[in-house]
This record gives sequence, structure tokens and C-alpha cells, in this order.
Amino acid sequence: MSEEIFAGLKQAIIDGDEDVVEELSQQVIEESINPVDAVQVGLIKGIEVVGELWKAGEVFLPDVMMSAEAMKVGLGLLEPEIAKLGMSEGDSKGKIVLGTVEGDIHDIGKNITGAMFTAAGYKVFDIGTDIKAEDFVLKAQEVGADIIGASALLTTTMSAQKQIIDYLKEKNLRDQFKVFIGGGPTSQAYADEIGADGWAESADEAVTLADRILAK
Amino acid sequence: MLPKYNVLTQEQVEIIHNESIKILEEIGMDFEYEPAIEIFKAQGLKVEGNRVYFTREFIEGKVKLAPSEFTLHARNPEHNLVCGGDNIIYMPGYGAPFIQLADGSRRKSTMEDYDNIVKLAGASKNLHMTGGTVAEPQDIPDEIRHLKMIYSSIKNSDKCFMGSAEGRERAQDSVEMAALLFGGKDVIKEKPVLISLINSLTPLKFDERMLGALMAYAEAGQAVVVASLVMAGSTGPAALVGTLALQNAEVLAGISLAQSINPGTPVVYGSTSALSDMRNGSLSIGSPECALFISASAQIARFYGIPSRSGGGLNDAKIVDAQAGYESMMTLMAASVTGINFVLHTAGILQYFMAISYEKFMMDDEMAGMLLHYMKGFNFDEDGLAYEAIASVGPGGHFLTQKHTRRNHKKEFRTPQLSDRSAYEAWSREGLDTNQRAHKQWQEVLAKYVPPVLDESIDQKLLEFIAKRS
Repeated sequence: MSEEIFAGLKQAIIDGDEDVVEELSQQVIEESINPVDAVQVGLIKGIEVVGELWKAGEVFLPDVMMSAEAMKVGLGLLEPEIAKLGMSEGDSKGKIVLGTVEGDIHDIGKNITGAMFTAAGYKVFDIGTDIKAEDFVLKAQEVGADIIGASALLTTTMSAQKQIIDYLKEKNLRDQFKVFIGGGPTSQAYADEIGADGWAESADEAVTLADRILAK
Repeated sequence: MLPKYNVLTQEQVEIIHNESIKILEEIGMDFEYEPAIEIFKAQGLKVEGNRVYFTREFIEGKVKLAPSEFTLHARNPEHNLVCGGDNIIYMPGYGAPFIQLADGSRRKSTMEDYDNIVKLAGASKNLHMTGGTVAEPQDIPDEIRHLKMIYSSIKNSDKCFMGSAEGRERAQDSVEMAALLFGGKDVIKEKPVLISLINSLTPLKFDERMLGALMAYAEAGQAVVVASLVMAGSTGPAALVGTLALQNAEVLAGISLAQSINPGTPVVYGSTSALSDMRNGSLSIGSPECALFISASAQIARFYGIPSRSGGGLNDAKIVDAQAGYESMMTLMAASVTGINFVLHTAGILQYFMAISYEKFMMDDEMAGMLLHYMKGFNFDEDGLAYEAIASVGPGGHFLTQKHTRRNHKKEFRTPQLSDRSAYEAWSREGLDTNQRAHKQWQEVLAKYVPPVLDESIDQKLLEFIAKRS
């Protein structure tokens, strides 16, 4: 019975069907099925398939985004259950706090990046747009993030990416988090200039970069 | 002049209009700027927080107040431009943070690039004005960038140029500087000299920065392009008609604000709607869908009797290669032949607006020249029919020694500036491709260019203003 539900969860993630994910996650809770297995064998297996299909060019961005949304729904239901039972969720590949910097409200690139990280097995904490440096850091501390990812689309808001790094230095926290920056006007040269740990031009390159940096 | 062609039926345009009205009435739009909200409230519209719910009567009434054409005044009156009707205005790209170099590398753009591109546009026979933010001068502190850019636009050319859209204060600075140049704010209120680019934040929002600028310009009687860039598939629906309806709703709402502030404010209906690539989400502007958006926008603007802005030498290519050429020609030609009036981004753009290239600029300048010639269409007078020449040559023979040929080819044929028409062997002695030829050409043009003299006392006043504001 549990196996069937896990397979159903996996398929619902692949289909990007959050209604089915919600229904099956509820069933896991009601029938006291192991929620860690539901996450590991169901949700995560499903999102892995989506990530691979995207890399192979067989599915498109909306497929990945909808699967990531469905993943969020499943985790939102199962994680509190796992915590309640005092169980461990198992290791994610890493935790990333994502946001668009202060003064900037463009978020489409950040949202795509969040979905790609989710599809690659990361835990993503998206804190929205127009976010102050200290709020990035507060959230990163709260969730024990590995990476802070800061997006900026305007040449006039890029300096806020530097402010995050300055703030971390000021609070003696610079070695606690890797800082990734991205967004249209940014570049590797700019990332080097402000002392960011990573820069990528596209969402999938950001994931590859995170894999490499966190593996070190 | 060739007639402008339509891509929609009248009924289809009306469907789009009605869909837009439905969006504005039932969904509403967010205006993240209190002074704008106050204006809509005073106009009697329903407002909840930042959300404004429009009515058909309000939108249609306000849109009628916008002039169908207006004159933009230049430092040199010979370069005054009429925006609207059958006129077309070409100008450089806008807002790119990078310069793509001929050797394939890319770097941040600087103030020197800004100066250079203004000069190249000043020297061009095909570009009618010098535009605005032709390169984002990243070596200048953000707070004073707009001052330096406006000064460069004034100093390095006497063609029309654009004002800053970076919020109310910078728009006011732009107006102040233009007033110094043209003899006072009263003068320019009667005769608009600035035009600025006000963008919505799709879907269905305007932010504080843009609204502040829009209001400052409307109050000062200066022209604004109210533009929407819907990325179909991400910031808009994956449907062409739905995207047009969404874009149209945003633009109409912005225009209604400008007309509420100052009835008769010169406005331009703007569209840069394009696609999100469904593999990676990136903007795609060199696409056939973008060409359809451009063409439809010209027609929708005509329906409202408002000048239009769209198109340009748009492309997603990374370097000056064949993709850059064929995509740019599609979008520039679509804009030109469907009747777009104000063609921002005519010259220089690469990498879906992220980069400007000097070489691409020269290539686009050539395309603009080709299209200006194309749009002239056919000459049906006696010289155009050329019966006498045909009769005097008769069967066999050739036309190369006819007086008509020697005289008339200069009127009817265009000589290319950049394209190579030589024979293979002649070409192969140097063997330069378009990128390499353009690289040599822009340096030659720049070396020869002498900026028109600016009155010393005006120059002094402008410099004093910049010093005071810095």
C-alpha cells in the first residue's frame, strides 16, 4: 500500500500535479505511513526524474516549474509531520536562501532559479523581492543555509549584492555562507570584484556551480 | 511611400481592445506610487490599496485626449521630428549594460561608450535621433549618471534625445537641463523636447520609479512612451492574443494616467512584448512571435490614433553573425512596414538587449538605410516609367550609356554603406566579413565626426547645474 502511494507521489511530481500530491500527502499523514520515505522515495525521486528529463531536453521550463511547485506543496505537508514525529528528513544536497535585492522587484529569473535548485534536490527558501541584506542573512542563519543567492536585474541595484557581502563581513559571518549572485547586468568579473563565491548566467549553470562548490 | 500593412482585421483589433477593457475593469492594475493612486481616486475610479479598477468610459475617454501626432524639437530645428502619422524615427539601442567587442569579448559599458554612440548616431544619415541610455555608463556613480548622459546627448549632437526615466527626481533634472538648453520650462512645455521610456512591470503593475518619472514629464508637457514588455510564457500567457490584450491593458492604463495629469500630453503607445524561451526562460526578441507583436502593436496604436513604438534591430545573437543579421532584419522590417513610428533599439542591440556592439550598430544603420529606401516605394512619374529610354535602346543593346540611366539611378537606387557588392577576387584581397568591415567603419566615422558647436553660455549653465546636483 505504501509503495503504491510513494509511486503515486513520484508520478504526481513528474506530472506537476499539486492536487494529487496534496491528496496523497494527506493520505500519508492520515494512515501514519512513514513520511520520510514518502519524501525520499516519492517526492525526491519524482523531482530527480524531472531534472533529468529537462537536461535531456524532453521537458520544458513550465514542466519543471510546476513540478517544483508540487514539490513545495508535498514538503509543506510532510515536513511538519516529520518534525512532529522527531524524525530526520534525510540529507538534502544543500540549502539555499534566494531573493531579489533591495530596491529591485524583478523576480522571474529568481523564480526559475529556485525551481531549478528544487529540481536538483536542494532545499530552497525563496524570501521574495526587495530584500534587505540583513534579511537575507537572518533567513540564512535561521535555516542553516549553505548558499545565499541574490538576484538583481538593474545596473542600479547591483550594488545591493555587494552590500550582502559587506554585511556578512561586518558581522563576522562571511565564512558561514557561500554567496551567489545573478541577474542580467551581473557578470563573473563583477562577482570577482565584490568577492562573491559564485556567479552564473543561467539557472541550470547556477545549480552546476553549487554542486561543484558544495562538493569541495 | 509604401502603404502600411495590417496583420489584424478591424474586428480582431476590437476583440483585443475589449479583452483589455475586461482585464482593467475586472482584474485591475497595481500602481505602487501614492501620488498616482490619488489621481485615480480623484478621477472617481474604484481603488483598493494599490489596486485600481478602471472603467471603459474612463479609458476610452482619456485615450481620446492623446494627440495623434506631435513634434519633438531638436537643438537644430532641421532635426525636429514629427512623431505619428506615416513618419518613422530610428535611433540607437537603449539600456544595455555591456559592450560586445568585435573580437568576441564582452565588457561593462562606460561613459566613453555613451559619448561614442551618441556621436555615431549624430553622424548617421539613417538614424533620426540619438536616443537615450545608449550605453549604461557603469563607470559613473548611479546618482549622477543621468546628468552626465543628458549632458553628453546635448553636447555631442544636435538631434533629439531622451530623458531619464529613473524616478521623479531624475526626470525633473532632465527637464531642468532641457529647459536650460531651450530657453526655459515655459518654452518646452509648449514645444516638447524630451521623450522618455516608461515601462510597466508586467503583469499588471507600474512601479514607483516609472510612475514618478511619468508624472514629472506629464506635468512638464514632455512626451512619454508608455511601454509594456510582456514575456509571453512567463510574465504573460503562452498565447499571442492574450499577450497583446495584457500589453494593451497596461499601456492604456499608463496613457490614461498621463492624460489625467495633463490632458493632451504627447504619448506613444509602446510594446516590446516578446517570448520567454521555454527551455531556459530567457527573453527572446529575435523571434517571429516578436515580429507579430510588433506588427499588431502598430495597428492597435493606429486604432487608438496614437503614435506607436516597437521593434528595432532585435535579436538574440551573441556576436555580430548571421543570426544577428537575419533576426534584426525581420524585426526592423516588421516595425518599418507596419507603421511603427518610434523605433527605439534600431541600432546596436545584441543578446536580447543585454549588449550594444559598435559593429552591430553600423550593420543596423545600413539596414535602417535599406528600409528607408524600401519604404519610399515606387516612382510613377515620367522618369519612373522611363519609356523614352526603353524606346531609344529598343530591342537588344543596353542602358548604360543612356542619359536617363546616368541621371535617374542616383534618384532611384541606394548605394550601400557597409554591404560588399564587389566580385569575389576583389573582395578576397582583404577578405573582411561584415563584422570586420563594420569595425573599421565605426572608427573612421568617429574620427571624422565633429560635434555641432554648443553655445558657450548654455554649456556653462549646464555644467553649473550638474555641479550643483552632484
